[in-house]
Formats: sequence, structure tokens, C-alpha cells
Amino acid sequence: MSCDTFKPLLMGYLDEELTALEAVRVEQHLEECHDCTAELDDFRKLKEVTRNMRVVMPDDKYWDEYWSNIYNRLERKAGWILLSLGSIILSAYGLYWVIAEVFLDKNVHPVIRIGVLTLIVGFCTLLVSVLRERFFLSKSDKYERIKR
Amino acid sequence: MNPIEEGSAIERCKNGDREAFGLIVQKYMKPAYYVALGYVGRPDDALDISQDAFINAFRHIKRFDSSKSFFPWFYSILKNLCLNHLSRSRRRKEDSIEQMVEEEGQSRIPVETVNPEQGAVQRDIEVRIGKALQRLRPKEREIIILQHFQDYSYQEIADLLGIPIGTVMSRLYSARRELRRELERMGVRY
Repeated sequence: MSCDTFKPLLMGYLDEELTALEAVRVEQHLEECHDCTAELDDFRKLKEVTRNMRVVMPDDKYWDEYWSNIYNRLERKAGWILLSLGSIILSAYGLYWVIAEVFLDKNVHPVIRIGVLTLIVGFCTLLVSVLRERFFLSKSDKYERIKR
Repeated sequence: MNPIEEGSAIERCKNGDREAFGLIVQKYMKPAYYVALGYVGRPDDALDISQDAFINAFRHIKRFDSSKSFFPWFYSILKNLCLNHLSRSRRRKEDSIEQMVEEEGQSRIPVETVNPEQGAVQRDIEVRIGKALQRLRPKEREIIILQHFQDYSYQEIADLLGIPIGTVMSRLYSARRELRRELERMGVRY
């Protein structure tokens, strides 16, 4: 078998994660292959220099607050959803009321009607534009700029 | 928490039980942090993103197949959030070359030795290793952090990431090789 087959196994050998049979196979290969032996020695030195190193953990207070932060945000999210729902219902009713009051009432001055109509058309145009942009963005690859 | 208790907690989560989700969070918050740190490189961002991932996981917990392990499913959510974050920060960096140069010079994964009697030389190596780690690809950083710095076994890593042990070994091999090359490039002797 080629060295490429053994290279990943060198990691398991170094970290004592191989089965006895796999370890014997690696040892047999190492006896014959100086390149893999040298590479294993390099990895052993790297492991030695980092033996006592650890990722610095955030303070305990962060871990104590970790779940409560999530809980609070979950709770708030539910609140935001209810708030948004209420706003949508009231906005829809408001729109209906405006249409009924402004457009069905013949006493309203035409300038006010035109103004309200312009506002509604502008709002709808912006809304459609934003929704369309988000729709096309969601279809494209969000991660294409990332080199893996 | 054993797998049976975890399965039971997940079922309760599916019925909207937030306290049960708290048990899941307590079990996986540190691995989630390590994975996020491997991707984004900054402790504060890693904490925020891992919390966001738990929130998204709870919101979509009904889609989770309870017959499978939780973490590999959660991992895909977490990874996507990390990639989104990287994508956004890259765009920000492209907007400011000065900021990019400054950040490249300063940023490093925070690592430290557990030996209290370390000298200045060891401290210098720590800083350089942290910088070298920052230059690895996210998947390489992730596996180095889990295995090298947090002593997870191959089986634990395979279970966490939902990959075979053979993939753990090959990924670890390429990650260590790259770390060694980076350290050589930086002139670190050990």
C-alpha cells in the first residue's frame, strides 16, 4: 500500500486511537518508510509543544448566563411575533378604513385622494421591490464568496 | 445525559418545552462554542453565533428526526450561521483594507498553556500558534481545536460532526500538516 493510505493512519497511531491490528500495520510500514517516519516525528514534536495548551474558555459567568440568554431571546421572539401579527392586523384594518373613508366618500377633496393613492402605490412598489430582491437572494448561493 | 434521556428531552422540546431544551443546551454548549470558534475565530462571535444556532434549532426542532443524534443536525445549522457570518465579515473587510490589515495582524485563536510556570518563550509560542491557527481553513481549525486542544477522542469527534472516523483521521492529518507549515513559515522552532 502507498504512503497516502498510511498518512491518515499516522494520526491514529500518534494519538493511540488505532486498533491493535491497525497499529501493527502502521509499524510495519514505518520500518520500511523513512519519509513517513520523519513525518510522524514532526507531528510528534507538534503534539508535544501543544500538549498542555488549551483554548482559552470564556469566564464561568458567560456559561452561567448562556442558557438564560437563549431563554430570554426565545421568549422575546415569541413576543415579537405576536407584536408583528397585531401590527399587520391593525395595518390591514387601517388600510381598509382609509380606502373606505377616502375613496368611497365623495365629499373628500380630489387632492387628498391623489395624495393617499400616491402614498399607497409608493408603499406597494417598495414592498414588492424588497420582497423580489429577497426572493432572488434566497435562490442564489449565499456562500459563493467563501473559499472552502 | 444519556441518549435515552436526550431523546426524551427532544420529544418534550417538540411539544414546546423550553426547560427541556435547556438540558440539551447545557450538554452541547461547549462543543458548539468550539466548533463556532473554529469557523469564525473570535470568542465573542463564537458565543453569539452558537447561541443563535440553538435558537434556530429550537424553532425548527419539529423538523428534527428523533431517531438520529442531535448534534450532527445542530451542527449543520451552526455551520451555516458561521458561513453567513464569515461571508458578511469578508464583505465588510473588502470595504476597508486598513481594517483588514489591522485584523490580520492582531487576530489569533486564544490558546494558553495549563502549566502555570510557563516562561516568556512558551508564551511567545502560544501567541504564534494562535496566529497560525487563525490562518488555517475553518474545517482544519475546527478539528485541531476539538482534538488537539480539547482532547476529544476520535469517536467523540466523529459523533459530534457526523463523519466517519476515517474522515476524522484524514482531516486531522491535513490540518496538522497545514499547522506545521504555517508555524515553519512564521519561523517557530519547537
